[in-house]
Amino acid sequence: MPITYDIIRKASRDLYEWSLKKVPDDTLEALAQAEKKETKLASRRTLQFMQAAARAAETEDRHACSDAGFPAYFVKIGTKLTLDGDIRRAFVDGFEDLVKTIEPPILKFITHPLTMERSYTGRDMPALSFDVIDGADYMEITCSPKALGSGRWADMKIFVYPKIEEIEAYFMDCVLAAGSQHCPPVIIGMGIGGSFDHAAKMAKKATLRKIGSKHSDPMIQDMEERLLIAVNKTGFGPMGTGGDTTALAVHVDYAHGHSFVPVAVCFNCWINRRTTLRISNDGEVTRLE
Amino acid sequence: MSDEPQPDIVHLNLPLSPEEARSLSLGDMVLLDGEVTVSAGMITQERIIEALESGEDLPFDLQGQAFFHMGSNCREENGKWLPNYVNPTTSTRFDALMPTIIRGLGLTSVGGKGGMGPQCVEAMQEIGCVYFSMPGGASPLLTNGVVERLETGWDDLIEQFRLARYQLKSFGPVTVAIDAHGNSMFQKLQQEAADKLPGILQELAAARQK
Ligand code: SF4
Repeated sequence: MPITYDIIRKASRDLYEWSLKKVPDDTLEALAQAEKKETKLASRRTLQFMQAAARAAETEDRHACSDAGFPAYFVKIGTKLTLDGDIRRAFVDGFEDLVKTIEPPILKFITHPLTMERSYTGRDMPALSFDVIDGADYMEITCSPKALGSGRWADMKIFVYPKIEEIEAYFMDCVLAAGSQHCPPVIIGMGIGGSFDHAAKMAKKATLRKIGSKHSDPMIQDMEERLLIAVNKTGFGPMGTGGDTTALAVHVDYAHGHSFVPVAVCFNCWINRRTTLRISNDGEVTRLE
Repeated sequence: MSDEPQPDIVHLNLPLSPEEARSLSLGDMVLLDGEVTVSAGMITQERIIEALESGEDLPFDLQGQAFFHMGSNCREENGKWLPNYVNPTTSTRFDALMPTIIRGLGLTSVGGKGGMGPQCVEAMQEIGCVYFSMPGGASPLLTNGVVERLETGWDDLIEQFRLARYQLKSFGPVTVAIDAHGNSMFQKLQQEAADKLPGILQELAAARQK
């Protein structure tokens, strides 16, 4: 049995709703750990408030944040699965279903980049990114809607033959530019190398990695570790309360390229919207988070 | 954990008088009662400024009131407008407009997230106005402190851009992040971070040598 248009349409609708009403477990755990270590009272109180709000969102079926963002999905397609129907259309229609049925309703956030007009639909909406998984007979879809506060501080620079210290200094410049305006503690992604577009994608995907997961390359593991310490020394703290937790994680990825090296940095706010499900070739849907 | 004293969280009634605003200190955590007008729209603020310039009436009186950068969504139940959710939006993006609005309306408190720039801080000092910072993304708990929506104005705009007047009860806690004496937690943190940066970069260099 192939994976059908109907299954994907429903999956994309459900993923979006879940992402709005649940803060991922790894993120809640990281907030709890951060609260234990925080030395500043206002910062601890803020972290407590965040956790309580996240629990309320989940148990009371409410939105964690009123900015529902715009729809963005990362789709990984196993090379052994069979598809039946229009897949892009399924995402477009799935979002339309969400807009019509979600309770409480979401507001209009999809914005025309030139006229600033707001709507529930738009060109290239939902933003879709496709990838393949060799040999797999399933499809994995991650939904990570992007809102204003955490979206606008992303940045990118193209270096030529950079030293690692230049890359790390640039990373810190991005952290300082954002300050506490992206609803910290944040998850920071950095993509190094490849091409302009590839670096940006790597950075974005890096924010989607689970907190506590390790990069396979020890050199990157070390970089992530020291950058996280560095970010948390800046002292912006949870929501700018001045504490020790400005970031919950720094995730870095790299790709080979030429001697010009794009470096992209992006952020996800503390609610860390991210949900994933898997659809097996027989159409069975499993929520992974 | 440190052993700083645990200050009690006090209640304030909105709108504040300029004197009340001046009595607050940076870092005070407070719960808010009373009335506030909210909007998340740039276009809304542009309209306020147009009205101030032309002398036209606003949909309702905002003189000396509380104005929060906040989006909201309501449902109707038994003739009342009850909130589904409210949440602050980033205030810095209104930096070019807010000094005129703070002065023109004599606002005694502004709320949002992320703070406001130096020109706003100056206007606030002049008028007797504080900035309440609230956590973004903690919408369920913030919304619990909102009793009902009393009225809206400029209903031709999309819901989160309209002017919406709300009744609050124990809203927050929110933090006084800009006081009425020219002090801003955001500027302070930004400055401190900039001062720390050379040291942080040195530590990164040392960590790379390991
Ligand atoms: S940055 Fe995140 S938590 Fe903050 S307001 Fe935007 S969506 Fe909500």
